[in-house]
Amino acid sequence: MSKTVLVCCGTGCLANGSAKVAAEFHRLLEGSDHAVEWLVKETGCNGFCENGPLVKIDPDDITYYKVQVKDVPEIEEKTVLGGETVDRLLYKNDQGQRVRSQRENPFYAPQHKIALRNIGAISPTSVEDYVAHGGYQALRKALTMTPEEILDEMDRSGLRGRGGAGFPTGRKWRTAAGYDKFPKYVACNGDEGDPGAFMDRSILEGDPHSVLEGMAICALAIGAEEGFLYIRDEYALAVKNVRAAIAEAEAYGALGDHILGSDKKLKLSVVRGGGAFVCGESTALMASVEGRVGEPRAKYIRSVQRGLWDQPTVLNNVETLANVPVILLHGGDAFARMGTEGSKGTKVFALVGKVKRTGLVEVPMGVTLRHLIYDIGGGVQGDRPFKAVQTGGPSGGCIPAELLDLPVDFDTLKSRGAMMGSGGMIVMDDRSCMVEVARYYIKFLSEESCGKCTPCREGLRHMLQILTDICEGRGQLSDLDLLEELCHTLADSSLCALGKSAPNPVLTTLKYFRQEYEAHILEHRCPAGVCAALTSFAIDAEKCVGCGACGRACPAGAVSGERKQPHVIDPARCIACGSCREACKFGAVVTKGKVAG
Amino acid sequence: MNITIDGKVCTCEKGEFLLQVARRNGFYIPTLCHHEALPGQGCCRVCIVEVDEGRGPKIVVSCVYPVERECTVYTDSDKVRRQRGMILSLLHKRAPDSELIAQMCAHYGAPALERLPNVEPGKCILCGLCARACSELSVGAISTVNRGVTKEVATPYHDESPVCVGCGSCASVCPTGAIELTETATTRTIWGKTFALVRCAKCGAVLGTAEELALAAKKAGQETETLCERCRKVALSQVLAHTYGDE
Repeated sequence: MSKTVLVCCGTGCLANGSAKVAAEFHRLLEGSDHAVEWLVKETGCNGFCENGPLVKIDPDDITYYKVQVKDVPEIEEKTVLGGETVDRLLYKNDQGQRVRSQRENPFYAPQHKIALRNIGAISPTSVEDYVAHGGYQALRKALTMTPEEILDEMDRSGLRGRGGAGFPTGRKWRTAAGYDKFPKYVACNGDEGDPGAFMDRSILEGDPHSVLEGMAICALAIGAEEGFLYIRDEYALAVKNVRAAIAEAEAYGALGDHILGSDKKLKLSVVRGGGAFVCGESTALMASVEGRVGEPRAKYIRSVQRGLWDQPTVLNNVETLANVPVILLHGGDAFARMGTEGSKGTKVFALVGKVKRTGLVEVPMGVTLRHLIYDIGGGVQGDRPFKAVQTGGPSGGCIPAELLDLPVDFDTLKSRGAMMGSGGMIVMDDRSCMVEVARYYIKFLSEESCGKCTPCREGLRHMLQILTDICEGRGQLSDLDLLEELCHTLADSSLCALGKSAPNPVLTTLKYFRQEYEAHILEHRCPAGVCAALTSFAIDAEKCVGCGACGRACPAGAVSGERKQPHVIDPARCIACGSCREACKFGAVVTKGKVAG
Repeated sequence: MNITIDGKVCTCEKGEFLLQVARRNGFYIPTLCHHEALPGQGCCRVCIVEVDEGRGPKIVVSCVYPVERECTVYTDSDKVRRQRGMILSLLHKRAPDSELIAQMCAHYGAPALERLPNVEPGKCILCGLCARACSELSVGAISTVNRGVTKEVATPYHDESPVCVGCGSCASVCPTGAIELTETATTRTIWGKTFALVRCAKCGAVLGTAEELALAAKKAGQETETLCERCRKVALSQVLAHTYGDE
């Protein structure tokens, strides 16, 4: 039986040198005497990028992490040809044991992959590989069904849009199908812009055919013959792979004038986005596809009725579309058995921030935040206290420790002022300042607001000013009321979802961490020791062992002290960046309010 | 169909915009970016009202809100007043030199927001009507530039526009008079570009800029106008009188 060496060539692993690793395997393969048949495949992102480059050997089911070019000959000799493991490249679990299979890895073991089903196992653009893994079977089945039957299956699945709003996909398709107005369009939203979120990129790069198949099924259901994938241009590999996949699918006959030999047709093309965050909003995206300025319009008339060029248009998120073939193939009921009452199936989360294991995680809806952060993520880095998790991207909310047992689904998160959004999940420890976090997101949004409507454009500018004032010690207690008033105006009167949800980071931090705002304003102190204007650092002589790590980390030369003697920080030179505190392994660097003068 | 606005039953067509229905029935809802000739802008947000379609009141923007079902509308509820006041205050910070905005702030009891600084001196509220007018009625010489807090209205790269015909459509639709248009006896200056004015060959009244007249003639497929409207009528009546022998 031949062996397959799967080298992860997602963007993260490529940045860590996986292209060279793959090239080395190819070089060895060419020189191989073929005593053992084996081949090399470059795959999409495995989601565990911080441990990349990943190399998996099948059928042995052995995964190696942080593989460098110099490790490749040993892997070839021992594992590919010999069937042994190279222990030092295996993942070490929380108990310190080396594990061979991803199924024993605590990061992968609890996951349930539907949207990410093929990624890491197939060569992304190869239609043969996709078909060998069951690809285009759902499309073949859909061609034997009536549009009504497809819509029924989608309704039964309970699938809701993965881009953030959570609108029922079946209902969206049914509405578009109901309009007797042609041409209709199917579109894919690949303008992923939330800081820290990269599930859509991973799918577009690693399994583009699953998205194309989902779009083709949608097109059959609503009666569309043309479609677009709007992908931000920064996603160069995604654009390249999707274009290649479209060409392969057309050559195979899954797209084009006769879909799988039928009389149905679908032409898909890629439209590259210029990187404006707001173009992820459906009407702004459509304006951009049409070649106009990417600004939203009022959505009282929905785009399923009047979308691209005023024609009925279904716009679905990448992850939503990747789920569609599975639903058609195995039935909506099977899909609906996973998840919660209101949120079916699985969701991919980008687990990042101060968590031990970061990466892309696909789990059934309804798992708790605690499970995600502590079981899969392994807990907070350095075992520091957990403070909050920011869900749903810049317009999401911050959820405090007392709500860690909340099930993660669309409705629960919303009820707490946060949101699912696209599935970003940023973990923060006690050294994260919640006022600064709110300021960061409002700054991001004020730069990304399109500026069309007054509340969003002007409101965000002033909210940013107020938050900056608080972080720099110029805040007043009455600012908090003014912030809330501005938040309400944005939430009710803004034009699009960007403005309407922009207050979330402020409102949730005010709700759950009000005392931090008050400490900044009343005590001129940043409890987390982040806001430089309100923080000073000092070294606790009792805890300091004189290792000098703080001094080496200090960019300002403010730390002095003899080796093995307690060090001191010169407040006149200290810029309060906190590098010393990060560097100290003994907890000897303490924070205080700003010392006067 | 019927809807109720501030307690009064009003008749309207399905799909009609709420602002239209309200105005026809004698309700005054303030607007800034709304213009009859360029509808659907919907960005200044001062025309907000509350609408209850049976699921509780929600804020909508009346100039672009189509009436699809029976509903109750509140044009002056506490919430509308508070949010409209806040929106006007924000616009006042953006355009502190605009007398219109200052008057509206006073009229609608907008909060002073002394805590917040003015954005910069000026009258522009960035509603974008000028850019719309230019692209739909004229040549698209100006547009909104950048996004978010850095948004502005400008010619490309702030250079003198090679296509601007100096028609002044932008200035005429501007709700706050933010676009500077100056005229001497022989020239008109707008967006940093100076145009020669053409006068009526007969009476000497200003016809417009040469570029503007050429564009209008090209669009109409006619020869460039040389007479003002009044002299044109006089000339035409003389032609008719001559033709029918009534001299």
